[in-house]
Amino acid sequence: MIYRGNRAAWAYIVARTKVMKSRLMKAEDFRKLLNMEFDEIVRYIGETEYKKEIDELGYKFTGPRLLDHALYANLARTYRKLIEVSFGASKFLITRYLEKWDVWNIINIIRGKMANVQPEVIEDVLVPAGERDLEFWKSLIVRDIEEIVKSFEGTPYYEPLSKVGSEDISKIEDELYKVYYRELLKLNPTDFAMKLFLDFIKMEIDIRNVKTLLRLKAEDATLDEIINCTIPGGYELTEEEIRKLAAMPLDEMIKSLEGYWFWDDVQIEGKSVATAEIEFDKIWIKTISKRASNYPLSILPVLQYVVLKKVEVDNLRILGWGKYYGLPNEEIERQMVIL
Amino acid sequence: MVEDALAKGLIAVGAGLAVGLAGIGAGVGESGIGAAAVGATAEDRGFFGLGILFTVIPETIVIFGLVIAFILMFAF
Repeated sequence: MIYRGNRAAWAYIVARTKVMKSRLMKAEDFRKLLNMEFDEIVRYIGETEYKKEIDELGYKFTGPRLLDHALYANLARTYRKLIEVSFGASKFLITRYLEKWDVWNIINIIRGKMANVQPEVIEDVLVPAGERDLEFWKSLIVRDIEEIVKSFEGTPYYEPLSKVGSEDISKIEDELYKVYYRELLKLNPTDFAMKLFLDFIKMEIDIRNVKTLLRLKAEDATLDEIINCTIPGGYELTEEEIRKLAAMPLDEMIKSLEGYWFWDDVQIEGKSVATAEIEFDKIWIKTISKRASNYPLSILPVLQYVVLKKVEVDNLRILGWGKYYGLPNEEIERQMVIL
Repeated sequence: MVEDALAKGLIAVGAGLAVGLAGIGAGVGESGIGAAAVGATAEDRGFFGLGILFTVIPETIVIFGLVIAFILMFAF
């Protein structure tokens, strides 16, 4: 019953996110920012949606670190707002989707603890966007690693976390994301809203997997390594498909990718893996936009906003750091996802 | 005499149904528009006027119902 959101409930949250989406930066804003100096960029951003965070953190940080913290703090605030203003089916689905940031926080806390980083520094990289709030994460930072792992006892994340110390942290991170997606895919497609959500998740898995495939293939990884790093449950890239593609040489694999939904005439030959990944990000955004327009009264326009907000934050970080280190404009633009 | 009263009664029921059903239809239509208008206005006050305008558009259906009711009541 919880999934059976009525039309009015969807109309409310969709209209709200559409207005929020209209305030996101456009391609021309990014092009304008590209021609500015670092300080001008911070000033410009400080007059937009990020004003509150830039003002609040301005006394604590300077330079690109101020930008980083302000952007992540704004991202967390925006995502939490989405959870707070939604209700019923939309709240349930948004909360489940944003659990991704819980994984981010767990990994960052454990990494920080392992490297003996100061608690304040760990706290600064947290994005309390999921159901668990900042107070919960703050209470974890002061504990030692065993206690942190123990606090997740009874949750699906406990099993991979129990390997902390005996296994490589990046492998545990992969495992945690696998658990996150596995738990999402366990939801029953009881109605159309749920089916649209699950299709979105499966397509997101495909995009992650194709990027992993390309990166690992370029690094000459073994078949087992590739299988371990990919996430099962994709839309078209099922486990057998991945196995088949991973066994091919890189050139042949790229040719075989052409039939999948995410190909859409990508030109990746002669490009670096990082640039090819950006091409797939662009296709992902285009696909979500198309699907969100086809199903306007569903969770898709909300998820589209969630993805676009993250892309905006990533673009601004790339822009800030690139400008700070004096990279040429063309190079910065190549790294950004601008549509 | 009885037939006349019955006909008048049925006309009154028809007029009631015309307005009542049109009202229910408009209400159903307005629920989605109203919710969207409230959502948009919550984010940006500038949408208030436009939101109200869009919300009352289905009300025109009730006017059609009302016209039918008047025709029923006074033309027969």
